[in-house]
Amino acid sequence: MKFANITMFVTLACAIITTITFASPEKGLEIAIEADSRDKGFGDSTAQITMILMDKYGQSTERAIRNRTFEGDNEGDKSLVIFDSPGDVRGTAFLSHTKKSDSDDQWLYLPALKRVKRIASSNKAGPFMGSEFSYEDIASQEVEKYTYNFLRDEELNGLDCFVVEYDPVDPKSGYKRQIVWMDKSEYRVHKIDFYDRKDALLKTLTYEDYKQYLDKFWRSNRLVMINHQTGKKTELLFADWKFRTGMTQRDFEKSALKRTR
Amino acid sequence: MITYCARSFAIFILLVQPAFASKVNGTLSSRLDFYPDHSKGTASEGRSAEVKIDAFHDFDESRIVGELIFRWDEKDSGRRITEARQAYFRSPFAGFDVFFGNRQEFWGKAESKNVVDVINQSDAAANEGKSGKLGAPSISAERYLDIGDLQLWYISNFREKTFNDSDAHPSNGVLVSSAQYARKDGKDADDFAVRLSSFAGDWDLAGSIFYGTARDPILSLNSNGSALNPYYALQKSIGFEAQYTGNVTLIKWESLHGTQSSLIGTHDFTAAVTGFEYTYYGPFETTWDIGLIGEIQHDDRPQAAANQFGVAGIRLIFNDIADSNFLFLASVDRKKDQSFVSLEASRRVNDVTSVKLTSQFYNARTATSAFGQLSDDDAITLTLNMFF
Repeated sequence: MKFANITMFVTLACAIITTITFASPEKGLEIAIEADSRDKGFGDSTAQITMILMDKYGQSTERAIRNRTFEGDNEGDKSLVIFDSPGDVRGTAFLSHTKKSDSDDQWLYLPALKRVKRIASSNKAGPFMGSEFSYEDIASQEVEKYTYNFLRDEELNGLDCFVVEYDPVDPKSGYKRQIVWMDKSEYRVHKIDFYDRKDALLKTLTYEDYKQYLDKFWRSNRLVMINHQTGKKTELLFADWKFRTGMTQRDFEKSALKRTR
Repeated sequence: MITYCARSFAIFILLVQPAFASKVNGTLSSRLDFYPDHSKGTASEGRSAEVKIDAFHDFDESRIVGELIFRWDEKDSGRRITEARQAYFRSPFAGFDVFFGNRQEFWGKAESKNVVDVINQSDAAANEGKSGKLGAPSISAERYLDIGDLQLWYISNFREKTFNDSDAHPSNGVLVSSAQYARKDGKDADDFAVRLSSFAGDWDLAGSIFYGTARDPILSLNSNGSALNPYYALQKSIGFEAQYTGNVTLIKWESLHGTQSSLIGTHDFTAAVTGFEYTYYGPFETTWDIGLIGEIQHDDRPQAAANQFGVAGIRLIFNDIADSNFLFLASVDRKKDQSFVSLEASRRVNDVTSVKLTSQFYNARTATSAFGQLSDDDAITLTLNMFF
């Protein structure tokens, strides 16, 4: 009887220790910081993106956009998205200055008016170009935007992965939490489950076709976002990645928006 | 001259199109207008078409840009136009980006009216809202400084506001005669403008100075009431713009202060617009954006339709694949008991086609008020845009 109690105590203690070990905010943060530091130094990048939007019946429509990113030093990254098609939004450009601990600064260039308009960032949970990606999904991912919790180790597609919970700090986020699968060897994200504010599974994003650039920086060339609640799907196909192109801070100021082509 | 320039530019762009860093795009717009309250002898409907060619070509650090408009209207000669809205050469010089040629520029923060937007003349006959502008023939320079963006403008020729025919809409119903000017050089008088704009944190700020011919003419009937005489005053003004960007609310201010010299002497004036835009995302568990707009306009110039307007509006963005959106704006002048209501709805039909439905309604208690004279100009407009 005494032996049984001791066994039960040891089992319980092990279970508690195991839980503490594996549901670790410290380890979650360490993983996020390591992933962030491995992508430091890319300077700037450009890419061509084809966005394929599919409804639940499989009907699809395409958009063509270009992305330019400028790596921030103390502040977050700056990014510029230029719309090439469909025709009615051709020439529209979206500039975002990501902030690590504050709301992002965002401007929209409206080519018909030649107007640069500062916009509120309140709709970060809203769809980007009618797609299954929201504005916060396409924004630069800064370490300070989430709190973390390492959950477990798990194999995904034959890769040893960390599974980490990302909890958005901003109450305007459309998500209560995100569960992120990141491989242990290169700290590349392979899958994210997004849970809505009611903690129901909303979307799953998978990252495919990773390629390494400049012998250091990994970029996925196919992102697939599936909305489990609507049955809709959006794919982002990246092509023509370029790094350290010589763009400067000035190319990401609001005055540069109206010069964008 | 402008027609010649536009044609030459179009030919140039077509020739250079295969070169690297060049692009030519076009838009074909077909438009149908219906005028449900048209008075006898005026048009009950209108048909028009517009071709817009956008092009640019880069070489080294310089760029040539063109935006050419060819608009045909079945009946209204005032809407017909061949216009080089933009046709300029841009090159870096002494730390500035220098632009030579016709340019379109936008200054301002507000939604319902932009009193500080003084660079371009309005292509009012196009009735296309804020995008309906005539290119400003100019030499301008821009420089990005630590304190903000500096713009310097020299505008070499004055462009007169366009008017619809007297039997078209909107129109006061009488012919518009040749313009008169306060400045002795008339259309050849030079205009000058400077603007510095900047942002810090949640604030966007700008200040500007303008010396030149007022864009809006003072309209007066001739002695026998058969024609309107446009009179362009000399304007010396300073402009201020401010926008606070909160998480869900934008607060906006723009104002223009100065003097206007006309036949009746030199008078101080103030024109200002202030208000807010509140955006709420996801009402009724949807992915819509609802925007509420509230603004107050003040303008004590004789050209203004009223001294004060209160403006309220709703903007609905459905965030769907077709980019469907809807805008309702109502402007009310309680003093003269007149109002103007506009509705605008648009959506994409496919990747190369979009459709837009707009309607404008004028109400006025007295026929002599600004909107009273436009009481037969209520319009419902359907526009089909094709992009190539």
